[in-house]
Amino acid sequence: MKRTIGFLIGMALMIATPAAAHFQMIYTPEAALTSGGELDLKLVFCHPFEAGHTMDMGKPLEFFMVHKEQKTDLMKDLKPITWMSETNSGAAWEAKVKARKMGDFVFCLVPEPYFESKEDAYIQQITKVIVNNAGMPTDWDAAVGLPAEIVALDKPYALWTGNVFRGVVLGDGKPVPNAEIEVEYLNHPPVPGKNTFQKEPLVVAPQDAFVTMTIKADANGQFCFGIPKAGWWGFAALGVGPMDKYKGKENSQDAVIWVKAVDMK
Amino acid sequence: MKGFFVGGALLLLLAWTGLASAHTPLCACYDNGDGTVTCEGGFSDGSSAAGVEMRVEDKAGNVLEKGKMNELSEFVFKKPDGDYKIVFYAGPGHDIVIDGKDVSE
Repeated sequence: MKRTIGFLIGMALMIATPAAAHFQMIYTPEAALTSGGELDLKLVFCHPFEAGHTMDMGKPLEFFMVHKEQKTDLMKDLKPITWMSETNSGAAWEAKVKARKMGDFVFCLVPEPYFESKEDAYIQQITKVIVNNAGMPTDWDAAVGLPAEIVALDKPYALWTGNVFRGVVLGDGKPVPNAEIEVEYLNHPPVPGKNTFQKEPLVVAPQDAFVTMTIKADANGQFCFGIPKAGWWGFAALGVGPMDKYKGKENSQDAVIWVKAVDMK
Repeated sequence: MKGFFVGGALLLLLAWTGLASAHTPLCACYDNGDGTVTCEGGFSDGSSAAGVEMRVEDKAGNVLEKGKMNELSEFVFKKPDGDYKIVFYAGPGHDIVIDGKDVSE
């Protein structure tokens, strides 16, 4: 009997342990554009490797872009959508944004903290994605000034498969030594024109440690990751921002950046 | 005096050659929808293309309009009626030709 109870507790713990990490996503199909135009951006709080549970997003606190050091507020461009995952549907947002000029467009999202009831704590993933038009580098390597931020050391839109991506984790503008960073692959890319992930995964992980990979920054807050496959990769530095409490509970203020690699063909 | 000028010219040449060989020229154009086209230029290290020669030519290569990238690294011209091409000329081997058909709407 004791063994049965122990087994059931063990099973419950296994089930309760999430295999994949929460990742705030700002998705657009291409990071390196040859000619500018209207970008279709999807803001989804999800589990990108497994296309699993989509968390409901509240109205973002801030959504803006930086181009040639000029900040443009995009809050008025946000529209609510429902995002379908493999297991549920969740509240998400989309925006159509004109990006015609040459250079980098740094999209930044400060979401409302999400209450994770299982942990009785909040998660706020401050997220950045950089889209380039016509190859002209303008803003990709500059800190925007977010409370939690990853600053790229390699152009996040100009990575061949097999390149490394390096970044510096900043919390309140300062490097965070030994920051813990979760890395996930967007294994079910969104279906064009639909608010859902494609059903078929691109790869199969041999074990859970390959779903959400964990790496560490060095003493200077720098990290390096070799990119094994083309597509979008998300990096989330956990709890590096200064706002560690929200509504009287713990808040993990994370810094997220998405980068895209392409195959040499 | 002669040596000074020759040396200066050589230095200038080296500086120009260094700039041209190290960085890829970049240019992109878009239709403003009001009968004009804006071209933006620059180099792959992020430096400005201000002062770079710009030409708009017809199919036969006749120059329809000629100018330079302004201080914002932009060049605006009246969109020709027929087929045309845009030439961004940043020195020998560093020119970019954009077909009018490839100008973003």
